[in-house]
Amino acid sequence: MARMKFLCDAERCIECNGCVTACKSEHEVPWGVNRRRVVTINDGVPGEKSISVACMHCSDAPCMAVCPVDCFYRTDDGVVLHDKDLCIGCGYCFYACPFGAPQFPQAGAFGLRGKMDKCTFCNGGPEEDRSAVEFQKYGRNRLAEGKLPACAEMCSTKALLGGDGDVIADIYRERVFKRGKGSEVWGWGTAYGPGKPGAAPAPAAGAKS
Amino acid sequence: MTQTKTKLGRRNFILAASAGGAATAAAIVARTASKPKPVAADSDKRSGKGYQVSEHINNYYRTTKV
Repeated sequence: MARMKFLCDAERCIECNGCVTACKSEHEVPWGVNRRRVVTINDGVPGEKSISVACMHCSDAPCMAVCPVDCFYRTDDGVVLHDKDLCIGCGYCFYACPFGAPQFPQAGAFGLRGKMDKCTFCNGGPEEDRSAVEFQKYGRNRLAEGKLPACAEMCSTKALLGGDGDVIADIYRERVFKRGKGSEVWGWGTAYGPGKPGAAPAPAAGAKS
Repeated sequence: MTQTKTKLGRRNFILAASAGGAATAAAIVARTASKPKPVAADSDKRSGKGYQVSEHINNYYRTTKV
């Protein structure tokens, strides 16, 4: 069974925000909601790194753990989805998520928080596949059409990889091998410390974190 | 003659009562067994067509190797 994953190659990402635009356009995401965005570390400093972030469809998802109405579920492909009919818009998932993936439309008066919205890995929701109701609530179901997420497919530099985790890992491993140095995945230095092969260089003086 | 008629009526009543009881019990069992489980209905709603390798997807994987 395939397990769907995203991986952003920080060496290739040029901060074009094409993935963000593709996502908003494909799913007709309302104003104020960004299912995906590009984060730049040390912006403006030579050697800055960018990474495209959305729901990472965690294997042990904190949002699922904290949801008081249990509206989250995981598909057979490892995609974390939610049921908007059950969501009460409490925002617990937003506080729990380390990536800030859950989004809440704030179109209502008095700061009213609507139903949570997040990246679906282009796999819709619990409604019937490719139905009008599913599109209206969750966006297009590209996986059911035999396609992959629009953000990954249209990435011009193929920095953002999405699909079967095993295939994605092989593609990335091959890239690292061709570069002839260590892994440049964003966060490597944070996770494994400096001084190791492929560790992120120390930020320049005055660099923003 | 009258006594015989009374006896037959009582037997018929007992037979009818026992048959009716058995039929009611069978109906209750059948209703309980055929009641759909709400959990199963919910999981059906959530099971959709997922990832399947297609020519389109293989083409995407090929472009990432550039």
